[in-house]
Amino acid sequence: MKTTRLWAIGLSVLLAAPLCLAQAGLPTNLQAADDPEEPRGTQMIVSWDAPEEPLQIPGMEMIGHRILVRRVDAEEWQPSPLVPPDATSAPVADLKPWPWPEWEIGIRPEYQLAGAPAAVFRTMGWPMTSTVAAPVAEVGPVRPEGNWFNTDYTNVLVLTLLFCTIVIATIYYVRGRAEEIYIRPIAGLEAVNDAIGRATEMGKPIVYVSGLTGIGDVATIAAMLILGHLARRSAAYETEVLVPCQDPLVMATEREIVRQAYTEAGKPDAYRPESIFFVTDSQFGYVAAVDGIMLREKPAACFYMGYFFAEALILAETGNQTGAIQIAGTDADTQLPFFITACDYTLMGEELYAASAYLSRQPLLVAQLRGQDIAKTLIAALLIATVAAATYAAVATGALADAAAQLVQWFTV
Amino acid sequence: MRLQVPLLITFLGGVFMAVQFFVPHELGQTAFAELLNWGRIVAAFALVLGIQSLLRTHIEKIRRQREDWHYSAVAIAAFVLMVVIGIGFGHGEGSGFDWLFRHVQVPLDATMFALLAFFIASAAFRTFRARSTEATLLLVAAIIVMLGRVPSTLLVIFGDTGAGQWLHATMPDVSEWIMNFPTVAGKRGILFGVALGSIATALRIILGIERSHLGGGGGGE
Repeated sequence: MKTTRLWAIGLSVLLAAPLCLAQAGLPTNLQAADDPEEPRGTQMIVSWDAPEEPLQIPGMEMIGHRILVRRVDAEEWQPSPLVPPDATSAPVADLKPWPWPEWEIGIRPEYQLAGAPAAVFRTMGWPMTSTVAAPVAEVGPVRPEGNWFNTDYTNVLVLTLLFCTIVIATIYYVRGRAEEIYIRPIAGLEAVNDAIGRATEMGKPIVYVSGLTGIGDVATIAAMLILGHLARRSAAYETEVLVPCQDPLVMATEREIVRQAYTEAGKPDAYRPESIFFVTDSQFGYVAAVDGIMLREKPAACFYMGYFFAEALILAETGNQTGAIQIAGTDADTQLPFFITACDYTLMGEELYAASAYLSRQPLLVAQLRGQDIAKTLIAALLIATVAAATYAAVATGALADAAAQLVQWFTV
Repeated sequence: MRLQVPLLITFLGGVFMAVQFFVPHELGQTAFAELLNWGRIVAAFALVLGIQSLLRTHIEKIRRQREDWHYSAVAIAAFVLMVVIGIGFGHGEGSGFDWLFRHVQVPLDATMFALLAFFIASAAFRTFRARSTEATLLLVAAIIVMLGRVPSTLLVIFGDTGAGQWLHATMPDVSEWIMNFPTVAGKRGILFGVALGSIATALRIILGIERSHLGGGGGGE
């Protein structure tokens, strides 16, 4: 080990001497520029001019260039992967743009033993490569530039802003006469009162499942909003609502929602936090537990609101076998057929999101529904227009066809 | 104050999350990753609440000896066993925890999943009764798709005749057409509504129009 280190030091000294003496044979004109293809601003392209006559060191061959990087306030150089000898540019990654400190970038050639000494070194297992510690050329301070806007998403931004503007403007103009707005009757939501009434008459609980995604999913939030309305109504009749949860965060939030609902209903003493409980985060473990609850408790009504996966039909069929009135609502298009098959009522897709406005009839929420419908009509019109444009671009030629193709392209993400 | 502070946090968080989607800059992405880390930390603390809820539910059931309380005893015993083995002896590959996971939990999960086949059969039987025009259309489409997926069935039914050969060759294409056009059209219609509905829900929560999750009625004026 000691011998190896001595050889390495000796080689470094031997290599450093000609490098210091013969700068003319080394790369020159080192430059660093932001990589325009990398939007985060963590990468720069380093370029240099190759020497007309590369430095030759007897007994050694050049194996490439090593790019070195360090922050302006740091002492140590950090090496990047080796660049082939004939390359004159290379990307340097993992840099940070503003507001992080600037960078210095250096380059140095690396050599390896060649010929007879190499065979001896290889046989002995000694290191074959040696380098000088410092770079032979430096540039800096430099800093990559990150992009503050992803232009690929311009169409998404424009349409999102358009949609939000329509919804907000509609809320502003319509909220005063929201009660005049017609809302299409949704059978599944009309049946909520029937389900609560049935549970009250039978003296049986209601089981409420709010999907198997976490609190970060909008469908779960929509499900929790519906739970609030359901709890407010069931609290008035002191009908128990059992809420088995698959996510502890959802459980904590739902407890607060239900507690508030009972308080608003004037029945704070009837609130039982243990009715909203954590089961497991295992998908089928959760299904087994909820199925067991349904078979034991024989609930009068079962609600499945939120996002579901393969467990949808297992839950709904078990509920069906217990004879409960079942109302489902999901935006999972793959599970909708199962709920439609096994449940009495199903809220399809957007009906899940409209449920809160439908049940509360709050003017702002109803006005927002109207805005949503206007935006949907506009999107349908855009859809028809772009389909027509795409068809025209496919069958015709000329400037108009090119414009149509560009229009279709603009809508493509 | 009790309502305003959560509303302000929701507004700022919602606007930031919406904006960062369009900002690829490292600063925005680092802040986004940091916020997700905060979420994980909150979730870790919430797990304590979850475990407390789990134990309380089952201990209460055992204490009161409610119906099927023995299952609660099994649940608590399994929980304690996994915790002791996982913390005490590690949970890496080849550990006792890993063995229990692969040889107990995975088969149990698979057993529950396997029930789906029987539930699909019973649900399909109920649904495919041709009681109305829509149900009849559904039945016909389902039969075509099923036969298109396994076209050799047609050769068994019709034999190696001209009709059998023709159906054997044609049915997969008809099945594909049903799956690729009417089905996809319907699904996209639903997905359009879902996308708009989720944006609208997010918008009304960010703007504080929907407050029922904070306890303030169904929506705010």
